[in-house]
Amino acid sequence: MNDDMSEHACEEHQEALSELALGVLTGRDRARALAHVESCPRCAEELEQLSHAADAVVQAATEAEPPMGFEVRLFERMGVADVRPKFRLRPRWAVGALSAAAAVIALGVGLSLGLSSSSTPPSTSATAAHVVTADLVQHGTVVGRVAAHGGAHAWMWMMLVDANARGTVDCIIVTSDGVSHQVGTFVANKGYGAWVAPLHVDPQDIRSAEVVAPGGTVIATATLG
Amino acid sequence: MRESSVAQGELSDDGLLAGMALGEQAAAVAFVRRYQRRVFGLAYSMTGDAGVAEDVAQEAMIRVWKHAPVFDPRRGSVASWVLTITRNLTIDALRLRRAVPTDPDDFAAAALRSNEHNPEDAVQRGDVRHIVRDALEVLPPEQRRAVVLAAVYGRTALEISESEGIPLGTAKTRIRTALIRLRAAIEHPEGVKDER
Repeated sequence: MNDDMSEHACEEHQEALSELALGVLTGRDRARALAHVESCPRCAEELEQLSHAADAVVQAATEAEPPMGFEVRLFERMGVADVRPKFRLRPRWAVGALSAAAAVIALGVGLSLGLSSSSTPPSTSATAAHVVTADLVQHGTVVGRVAAHGGAHAWMWMMLVDANARGTVDCIIVTSDGVSHQVGTFVANKGYGAWVAPLHVDPQDIRSAEVVAPGGTVIATATLG
Repeated sequence: MRESSVAQGELSDDGLLAGMALGEQAAAVAFVRRYQRRVFGLAYSMTGDAGVAEDVAQEAMIRVWKHAPVFDPRRGSVASWVLTITRNLTIDALRLRRAVPTDPDDFAAAALRSNEHNPEDAVQRGDVRHIVRDALEVLPPEQRRAVVLAAVYGRTALEISESEGIPLGTAKTRIRTALIRLRAAIEHPEGVKDER
């Protein structure tokens, strides 16, 4: 297809893209628009942006107080027994949630991680699916968890709980050849933070991961290999 | 890089969802308390019926709880996921009960009067609710109505043209123009302030 024809095809589908993003395009029109988007990166990108805007509209809805007893009825259906008047995050639970969050992300891409939810000494596990996980340690105390998943769309997940970290910090990984790679820059809010980032190295090559303050001070370290 | 930070010593939405997925009751309680007003509020804004809205809100929370393990944070925010589930369930409930939905102008008016915000959003990436409300406010009323009918109530362009008594092409143009302006507002929120 030459440029003129491609341009013409895009113009033809402009109107449909909005309705496709809103989820209100049906039948043959929907099939035609989807077929075009699959072959046109430019329209695919526009569709993603329009979908983001469409999804945001429902977020404008005003809040309202549910009827009395809403929570109780809901928690009964969910089988939640421990309904305290006000939830406060306990550090012990929070550290347990580190493994939970890693497992959820892994589940989201169809994997099954056998992670421990305890805060026992730093450990590393690897599976055939190129997933490595380890605790982040600060002065001998577990303050977080890191997980790296390989494959075509490799990613890294990190979580800090009650760490001595404030403001912007860097996540640095060191590979087996001794080279340091910056995975990203994050904001730690009063010692807490959770991030997901694309990864450009094989997780099995990672030897360690560090959370580093702007001045170069290493806040926490995880040993992965 | 997608960032999900934690405010006020509490876990992020992603973190709570993760804990809930693995059966952490405290996470489920915290998540429900964080979202119940938004979920119920959306259902009530669309139905105007507290009973229907509660049924929908309960079912939405149950769905979120059951499907938490398959939530993919790369595809969008937790808030967007939860509220889209709620919207779809509300549309289904309205159809099933053959109930009359609220008027989109009332939905928009209530939204524009609201001033709640998500501290996490506000700190990290601008409060999406405020940005969208500001953008809706500066849209011409007919465009605002068209985009709310499509995005919230799930109406097709043909249905909008019939209910509004306008040509199909006009309905399509209103929807598209409004959505493009909303997209621009989300990408450049400062531009909306200049329009107000």
